[in-house]
Amino acid sequence: MSTPKPPSSEDLLGQKYDRCLADFLVKAGVGFSAGVVLSVVLFRRRTWPIALSTGFGAGIAYADCDRSFNPARIPGTRIISQLPEAPQGK
Amino acid sequence: MYRTLPRRLATGASRGGARVVRRRLTTEPPSSEPLPKKRHVVRTILLSTTVLVGGFYVGSTFLAFKNETYHEFFSEQVPLGYSFLQYGEDHHWDTMTVESVIESSKKTLASAQRYVTDTLSGAPSTAQEAKSAVKNTKEAAVKAIQDSKDRATSAAARIKTEIKKETSGATAIVKHQSEQFSRGVEELIREAEAALDKAKTTAADALEPPPTDTAGPGVYHAPLPVGFELPPGYARPSPPKKPEPSPADAPRLPLLSPELSSISASEPIIAHLAGTIDNLTAYVESNPTATAKAASVLETAKSDLTALATRIEKVREDERAGLEAKMDEQTREYTVKLMDLEMEAQDKLDGQEQEFRRYFDEERARLTQAYREKLENELQTQTELINERLKEEVIAQGIELQRRWIREIKVRVEEERGGRLAKIDELSANLKRLERVALDNSTYLDENLRIHTLWSALRALSSSALTSPVRKPFREELRVVRHIAAARDDPVVAAALDSLEGSDVPDVGVEPLADLSTWFAAEVAPKVAHVALVPDENAGLLSHLASRAFAGLRFKRHGLVSGDDVLSVLARAEHYLNEKDLDSAARELNQLKGTAKLLLHDWLEAARRRLEVQQALEVVQTQATLASLLVV
Repeated sequence: MSTPKPPSSEDLLGQKYDRCLADFLVKAGVGFSAGVVLSVVLFRRRTWPIALSTGFGAGIAYADCDRSFNPARIPGTRIISQLPEAPQGK
Repeated sequence: MYRTLPRRLATGASRGGARVVRRRLTTEPPSSEPLPKKRHVVRTILLSTTVLVGGFYVGSTFLAFKNETYHEFFSEQVPLGYSFLQYGEDHHWDTMTVESVIESSKKTLASAQRYVTDTLSGAPSTAQEAKSAVKNTKEAAVKAIQDSKDRATSAAARIKTEIKKETSGATAIVKHQSEQFSRGVEELIREAEAALDKAKTTAADALEPPPTDTAGPGVYHAPLPVGFELPPGYARPSPPKKPEPSPADAPRLPLLSPELSSISASEPIIAHLAGTIDNLTAYVESNPTATAKAASVLETAKSDLTALATRIEKVREDERAGLEAKMDEQTREYTVKLMDLEMEAQDKLDGQEQEFRRYFDEERARLTQAYREKLENELQTQTELINERLKEEVIAQGIELQRRWIREIKVRVEEERGGRLAKIDELSANLKRLERVALDNSTYLDENLRIHTLWSALRALSSSALTSPVRKPFREELRVVRHIAAARDDPVVAAALDSLEGSDVPDVGVEPLADLSTWFAAEVAPKVAHVALVPDENAGLLSHLASRAFAGLRFKRHGLVSGDDVLSVLARAEHYLNEKDLDSAARELNQLKGTAKLLLHDWLEAARRRLEVQQALEVVQTQATLASLLVV
């Protein structure tokens, strides 16, 4: 129990969610702080640099999270599932 | 051993020689005499080459006798090698040893020394030689004498021993020898006498012309021993002179013997007397002086003699007459005696005749008796023969009968034996059958026992692996089962157990069904339900979030519902699990795809492990059941 045991397969998604949240918070926070610094230093206390950099951080976090959920998704590529005969209901 | 010593010596000597040479080279001034040195050089070269070549050849010859390969090489390759080998074989070098060499060298050395000393001593040696020759001859003589003495003594001893040995036959031999000896002596005597006579005659012849020599100094009077002759210069005395022949013209005297021949024929004494008188007459005649005197005497003697003769005649006649008378008387007497004897003989003859007749009768009776006896004997023998033949026939018949009986008995015995043997065969067959039954029974029992043990092991295994409330490893139980199943040599069971043993399932064990059920219901099913709406591909964060958001809104389905979507499958699996049908539940959940399958992976793995074990155990159980059915 003490050693990092590989998590059970049903807890996989929950783990991913946790990581994504942590990542989002960190990156959004970093973007926010960077925007604050920029607005104070360069843009005479304007607000939009703060929002922009926070958006950048959140976007980066989202992209990472999305990639972690679907590792096969790479920008510029599309996976075409060769659907056989019939999609059997659904 | 003996090879090492000389080599060391040789090396030491060579070393010493080298040292000496070196010293000389260093001490002596060089080029003292160039010319003689040159000559010396040539000589040393020649000498050394000669010595080397000789040494090589001699050494090679010896080595060739020791070593076969070198022998071949030496005889074929080296010039003159073969001839050297031949020479060595002729002089027995091949059999020569060190001892023999030393011996021969010693001998030659001694001879050489002797030769040298002899030549050195020269003249004194001749005297010495003479002395020695004398000594030698003396010694030889003494030796010869000794030898002869010895031989004589030995011969004597031998003769003695022979005599001792032949004491039994000695007397005869001695007698024979003495006879021979006496005969030889007699012959000798005879010869000696003859020789003596001859000698005598010769001596007489020789000594007759000088009669004065008879009493000479060379006359030997003593009698000579037998076989001896006089030495030269001696002679026997001459024999007495022969009497002078008497004169033939003397007056002859009358001779009586022719006149009395008629009487002397019947009376030898008278003839003898007449002969004597004649002799006297002859003597008288030889003496011419007495002839005249003697004539008258002779006449009287003659008359007396005739008277004597007539007287004798007369006496004889008288005697004859007396004798005739006596004869007649005796004849008469004897005739009377003869008559008596005749009578007696007649009587005797009569008696004898009677006796003979009686004897004849007796003889006849005896003969008849004998013949009768003979006849009876014949009859008896005939009857005996017949009886014997009859007996033989009886015996033969008896033997025949016995043989027949024996044959019959044999046949009976054979039949009996055959019957007995058949019975024994039957018994043995029965016994074999029994044996087989017993064997079958034992194998059956063994099989039963094995199946029983297998069943027990299987039960233990299943109880520890499947029906235990907690997960625990069952390697030990599996090993026991496998061990027991290996005895039965069942390929199916072996395959199933091998597949089970090959994995790591026995080490970690399998989850109990209850655990699996609770795990599914508590953890796996809700989480899978949250991703029920996530698409199979290109499912990003948004789709996941949406699925999570909308899954809560959907109705929860229960029981055996139809449908391919994730929630229906989950509902069916839950239903099957509630019915403890793990197999069907696993099959249902295995149909899911995408993220749901991903989430179900661990649970499915556990379920599959349990199902594998279950299946293998079922297979083994089925085989065991089949085996037990086969046994019964």
